[in-house]
Amino acid sequence: MNVPIRKARLIIDKPGAASWNMAVDAAILESLTPNSPPTLRFYQWSRPTLSLGYFQSLANRAAHAESQVLEVVRRSTGGGAIVHEHELTYSLSIATPTQRTGASHSMYRTVHDCIITALAEAGLKATRFGQNLGQKKSAEPFLCFQRRTEEDLIVSGYKVLGSAQRRGAHGILQHGSLLMAASTGAPQLPGLLELSSHSALQRLGVESTDRSGRGLVQMLATRLAAAFQVNWDSSGLSRTEFERAEQIEADRYGHPNWTERR
Amino acid sequence: MSRNPNRLLYAKSHEWADVATQGDSKVATIGISAFAIQQLTDLVYMDLPKVGAKVSAGEEFGEVESVKAVSPLYSPVDGEIIEVHSELPENLDRLKEDPYDFGWILKVRLTNDVALASLLDHAAYEQRCNEEA
Repeated sequence: MNVPIRKARLIIDKPGAASWNMAVDAAILESLTPNSPPTLRFYQWSRPTLSLGYFQSLANRAAHAESQVLEVVRRSTGGGAIVHEHELTYSLSIATPTQRTGASHSMYRTVHDCIITALAEAGLKATRFGQNLGQKKSAEPFLCFQRRTEEDLIVSGYKVLGSAQRRGAHGILQHGSLLMAASTGAPQLPGLLELSSHSALQRLGVESTDRSGRGLVQMLATRLAAAFQVNWDSSGLSRTEFERAEQIEADRYGHPNWTERR
Repeated sequence: MSRNPNRLLYAKSHEWADVATQGDSKVATIGISAFAIQQLTDLVYMDLPKVGAKVSAGEEFGEVESVKAVSPLYSPVDGEIIEVHSELPENLDRLKEDPYDFGWILKVRLTNDVALASLLDHAAYEQRCNEEA
């Protein structure tokens, strides 16, 4: 039986301010209706930024000296802090027919499997971390890429991809970060450029100097279209979404009350 | 006394409400269902609102983080929060064992009964959960 191909939206954004990047994801999630098509968005950060997990305390950043000078934003998703410098950030927003709660493991699995396959075809072995070790939150490291959960992708013992989700009234947002190279804000965390051979990077279509991951965008979009059985339409945000994002940026992600809320 | 889940009302968003008369007003004790807690798996954080805050049916009153997902909590009723279970966020592991007694989250003094009519009884909620599962 042929499954009908749905129309979906692909947004490839220029590097943006941290508060704007988070506001756009929130506006897309809030604007979902039960019939909305999925939206896949790739974006980057105009300045190196530390993003805190939703429940992390701002004071905890004092324990991580290398990222002290970076701008900070609080995400709507949970997990650990991320240094956004040499990485590719994606978000995927999908409407859900009923109000569900908790993580969508199938969504994690589908996105991460696409990346595992793409890396494998280039000769790079990435594996899911598998069953987590049941660490208590008190033992969790500050940085996301030093934590391990079941769906995280590991290359040569290092985490290169982590994602997190947030539920909304009519759908779910998953955003994630593919680490391309170590940054000055987190020099202890190598990315794909440090963990791959020159020939593997060539097969991936990534220049050895491309620390942005831009070279991966079209290839990942194609794989995700096949996995989710959609055709991408490259329309941008609707006027309503854009205006909502401006409001959310002003009220939430660009406001100290949000960043300093815990 | 244990709360009987068969006698509670449920929102489609998986919160339960136990409505009782106190003096001249009705008070709803609110929590999240055993089904939702199972879906959430390991809970790590919960945000609660403050006493005195107003809540509206269908609107968020708090958030919970499970491993890899933040999910909103929605009020099943309209009213004013008169009590929050402040011990709960530090004891989330007990939610799974005891969602209907230790797991209460809020007590809300109702400002009207309107939202109660759209809540599900246990049988209807269970059927909905079976369909979702």
